[in-house]
Amino acid sequence: MGLVTTGLVLIEEHAKRVKPPRMLSVPFNFGNTLGRPNDPEFQHEILKTTFDLLDRHEGPVLESFSSNIAPELFSQGSGVPRQRSAVVTDPGQELGLRRPFYERWVQQNGGRTAVGLSTISQTDFKLVIKFLEDFIEDEEFDTPIRPNQFSVAHFIRYCVDDLKAYYFESKMSEDAEMSIAQLHEWLWAETALGSLIMRLAERMRSDDNNEVKAVAFGIAR
Amino acid sequence: MPRLEALSEAQRNMMLNWPCPDNDDTPWTTMGRPLSASKVAMVTTSGIHLRKDAPFRSLKGGDTSYRIIPRDSDPANIIQSHTSIGFDRTTSYRDINITFPVDRLEELVQSGYIGELSDNYYSYMGAINDVTGLIEDSGPEVATKLLAEDVDVVLLVPT
Repeated sequence: MGLVTTGLVLIEEHAKRVKPPRMLSVPFNFGNTLGRPNDPEFQHEILKTTFDLLDRHEGPVLESFSSNIAPELFSQGSGVPRQRSAVVTDPGQELGLRRPFYERWVQQNGGRTAVGLSTISQTDFKLVIKFLEDFIEDEEFDTPIRPNQFSVAHFIRYCVDDLKAYYFESKMSEDAEMSIAQLHEWLWAETALGSLIMRLAERMRSDDNNEVKAVAFGIAR
Repeated sequence: MPRLEALSEAQRNMMLNWPCPDNDDTPWTTMGRPLSASKVAMVTTSGIHLRKDAPFRSLKGGDTSYRIIPRDSDPANIIQSHTSIGFDRTTSYRDINITFPVDRLEELVQSGYIGELSDNYYSYMGAINDVTGLIEDSGPEVATKLLAEDVDVVLLVPT
């Protein structure tokens, strides 16, 4: 006996080329494979439709799941104009202002947070911000807070991932109704962190080190 | 799929030209027993892992390694280091089930729809340009582990 597989696919064209045995094509955007968060009934419908494909006797099977949910698109940093009237321009100060909202998010979600890749405690994020600012200005190329297991380039990426998660979670705690598009627009248009990340990505893209250049693509574009 | 026409032109072109394998045929295994008597495992390409595990890396061609996520892991102990910024992550901050439906699978067992679940789930990175490492190394390795755990059915979930 081998393994029987069934699954979900987001890009139907890829399934047509790879030809996996059984695939359900879903009309949602990347990162939203089961359609709607915190909607067990709808998620069960998708999963049961996926498991129903197991009854087929020949393949490849590629079926489409119909839904009226429109994929919600969001902009990357370069697609969002900066607002000139940002309330706070210092990312370090801004970080502190976001902390109560972030901590409330963690409390409300049973301790679950997407922050943690860099291994730096959120209470020390000011040190991370200082390093990133110095890196942008070519004043520092490394930091003693970097764990040895990470290269500088990857440490920077994990720090940026953590900072984005910290900001997004704090904002969702402050305003639970914000849409995906609004959250991304807020980060890039209104926060000092968004501005810092864009400058950081630009600085990394112009670096001589290929790893630093490659990692820049996973930070902002 | 996220309708290609709904994506930006750059993203649409990238998806259409993605270097995924063009296979001529499909490996096929027929169900040996009903789902309600089968053991089900899950493999995700959402790039999640336990906090104690090494994050996925930005590598040329992509990171083809995998991480084991024990089924009884506390969701608070799971984080994501997927390298792509082409997808939104805030939805999974709200509900991990959106790309890693752990709670839904448990509920399907409780209702008798699924027989049982494997002790371990597996996580890969998505957005891999060069799948050689997956085909030759990490894919067969995970398949061997799944078979060793007497898994019948594998649910594949991308992000």
